[in-house]
Amino acid sequence: MLDILKAEFRRFLSWAAVYAAAQFMVLMFFTRVVDMAQQPDEVYFVIAALHALTGALLGLFQMGGYRRPNAWLNLLHRPLAHWRIALALLAAGTALLLIAILLPLLATAAWQELMTPRVLDLRHVGLCIAGFGIAVIGYLTGAAAMLVPRRTAAAPLVFLALLPSAFATGTGFIALQALVMAWLLALTLAAFKPDLGSAPRGAAGVLLAAPLQVLMWLLLVMAGFGFELLWIAQGTHPNNLASAPAGSAKQADNAEGSDLLIEGLASSSAADAPLWREQAAISDVVTLGVGIPVNPVWNELGNRAPMEFDDEQRRIRWVFSHDLGRFVGYRLADREAIGELGVAGGSRFPSPPLPGPRGLLIGRDTLHEFDGETQRVLPRLSLADGEVIAGIDLTGERLAVLSDRALYLFDARPLSLDSTPLATHQRVPLPGATGNLTRVDIMELLDGHLVSFGMTRQRHNGQGPSFQQIVRVDAQGRVEKVARRELTTGYGPLFTWQTWWMSPLIDQSLGALRHLFAPYQPGHAVSPPPRPDRVRWLAGLLMALSLLAAGLHVRRTNLRRTGRVAWCLACGAVGVPALMALWLAIPRRESMQMSSAAAPALA
Amino acid sequence: MTVSDYVIQTRDLSKRYGSKLALRHLDLNVPRGRIHAIVGANGAGKSTLFRILLGFLPPTAGDARILGRDSQRLTPDDRGRIGFVNEEHTLPGWMSVQAITAAHRRLYPRWDQQLFDEVLGHYHVLPTQKVSQLSRGERAGFNLALALAQGPELLVLDEPTLGLDVVAKRAFLEALMYSNGSDDCTVIYCSHQMDEIERVADNLIILEQGELANMSPPEDFVARVTYWVADVPFKGPDPRTVPGLLQVQRLDGLHHYLVLDQDDSFADFLRAAGARSINSMPVGLDRAVNGFLAKNHAAPSAA
Repeated sequence: MLDILKAEFRRFLSWAAVYAAAQFMVLMFFTRVVDMAQQPDEVYFVIAALHALTGALLGLFQMGGYRRPNAWLNLLHRPLAHWRIALALLAAGTALLLIAILLPLLATAAWQELMTPRVLDLRHVGLCIAGFGIAVIGYLTGAAAMLVPRRTAAAPLVFLALLPSAFATGTGFIALQALVMAWLLALTLAAFKPDLGSAPRGAAGVLLAAPLQVLMWLLLVMAGFGFELLWIAQGTHPNNLASAPAGSAKQADNAEGSDLLIEGLASSSAADAPLWREQAAISDVVTLGVGIPVNPVWNELGNRAPMEFDDEQRRIRWVFSHDLGRFVGYRLADREAIGELGVAGGSRFPSPPLPGPRGLLIGRDTLHEFDGETQRVLPRLSLADGEVIAGIDLTGERLAVLSDRALYLFDARPLSLDSTPLATHQRVPLPGATGNLTRVDIMELLDGHLVSFGMTRQRHNGQGPSFQQIVRVDAQGRVEKVARRELTTGYGPLFTWQTWWMSPLIDQSLGALRHLFAPYQPGHAVSPPPRPDRVRWLAGLLMALSLLAAGLHVRRTNLRRTGRVAWCLACGAVGVPALMALWLAIPRRESMQMSSAAAPALA
Repeated sequence: MTVSDYVIQTRDLSKRYGSKLALRHLDLNVPRGRIHAIVGANGAGKSTLFRILLGFLPPTAGDARILGRDSQRLTPDDRGRIGFVNEEHTLPGWMSVQAITAAHRRLYPRWDQQLFDEVLGHYHVLPTQKVSQLSRGERAGFNLALALAQGPELLVLDEPTLGLDVVAKRAFLEALMYSNGSDDCTVIYCSHQMDEIERVADNLIILEQGELANMSPPEDFVARVTYWVADVPFKGPDPRTVPGLLQVQRLDGLHHYLVLDQDDSFADFLRAAGARSINSMPVGLDRAVNGFLAKNHAAPSAA
């Protein structure tokens, strides 16, 4: 086994060394130009995609070379268990990726730590490990794709396709990667057998069947997306009409704040509604949204935005360090380190802050202000009971802070005058989940505010409602609902719940898996409306038909009794995607009387 | 013979690729010991048979046993008892001869270094050479040396000399025939080269369209095929009426017949058809097998 590992390692070692050198040079070039540790997530996503592609190409090339019939026979026909041969090859591939991917990343990080005043935290080492993990996942994906039967070769791609949609970060994301790696490793080992033409059997069959069913579901979803493109091209898609219909969510999304208030108040029974409508036409209406759907958390791998701000007067750049819990500064002129910046002197921040407007530093549930004159950071407000900030707006003398449960209105004048915490003026509870909130429009009244909530986000996929609600909050903070109207979407229930009725189980499972190991984020919280009965009936009908068709198909296959029962149950529970997977993974049994049309593909 | 006396046993073995039957109801029992040649036209099912026997392909029907074990359930230990050499001589081109040899020595408990050196001695191969630097013939010899030194009970050679020049081919056959390794194991030798078969084989197995068409010593098979030249006026007898006909040609006014399982009574048949002069002569293995295999060879239908 060790001999195979060493031989395979030598096979690609020079390529790995060249790749490592090239990657190191590229990373060093960019490190000279920008701070690679403070880039937004999009940059890391591109790098991760390249690493995944690298790994996938290695896996495809390595196993593709062995997959040829004679090469495969020579590789496996030896007095070694197949899984041991597979482990030796995979260990060699992983070691090569370690050289090609991880070493240059760590070397670049070490250079930044030792040779620059820039911040490098432990989380950045985690980021390097995650990059390596992505490459290994790509590698195992390529290897598995080459070894499973041709008709199912795309199934392992599901993990790479869905991983970017996971909400996990930090060690949670690395743990998620480890789970995916374990699944792909098990799948590769199960597929690593002399007869490459047949799917893994027994319990190992689940390793291929599950991702294959999800892939089929994704294909159905893509077909739905194709239908939507045709709909758009036809010009009748509700979001692409020449003018949005009155009373539609699209119109509400695009409207000016004053127009939206006027429309919303039209059906209000409040005595002052006519007056407010007149006032809305001439008043300034402030609009804000969920500007921070994902709040920074300790030791996250990436940055939604760079965790740094510049003190323009003193030409100092302050970069937040997760390890220290404080900002670390260096002069922009000569790159000399000038010290640390904590709360009220030198204390750790309670949560990683996101630099905001006018020296505000937005934490998870606190708001701090940086005073450039005194070079101090002072706490200005703190939300109660674990509420998480989801957006702020600082217009004139009013500071609006949106949390995942309420809208807070503050008098912003003390911000530049004193250092005392801001006192809450008004608190308005949200009428729904933050993930469904598209916009908040605020109009000042003589004795309070009129606040409109547009709850239309995720209405297209059944994850959110579609309505506008207007409340009045008086100077004493009393809140009164004055209007609510349902907004039409124009999609229709079959389109809206398409991902659900195609397979309720997969839709719900993937929705839950996105949150695995993930911290709570306000932008991810949704409140789906109930599904219409006809959508439920359609899903049930499809599952029943899938069960019936599966029962007919498995009788003509080589599956044993337990395999047949398992596939039928899967088709009954999962629906059409499972039936499609069954047809692909388990072809009809070869028979001496078989017609050519029913013949399975050759291995 | 008991079950253990056979290295290969198939019973009603069939394999279908789509609409084509590569093997059809094959019943084959290959006894232990000696060198058995398997010949057949392209598509006769030889490679399919080997792939099923080594567990790399499931049969459509029937079963196959190798060294007494169900071929679909071979263990690593079973594989250690079966050597296999194919025409590609697939070896890691980036590795040196000595590195591969060392790895095989560690892998196979019955490794015979002396035999390895003896077989490889037929070639000018340096231990430090990389496989990619070896000629095709040297690679074939190295592969054979590795396979024999493993000490297999059964050695399967699937067209091992394909693409080799005359010198390399001779070296390969000498290495196989004059080493002690082949004495201790059963050899299955698959080839299209009848001169090789004639030299090495003790038993001739002919596969034709997935069926067993012959299994006998080569000389017995050759004795079954005779060549007749007759001076028959006009068109001669209808080929469909010629008993045991494998091939017929008309050259310079003479009819040339290659027939199977015909004794002197065939001369009477020719005389009855009007033959004025008749000569019969034996044929070589090459002519006999080629005639036999060409009998049912597909040909374009007449326009």
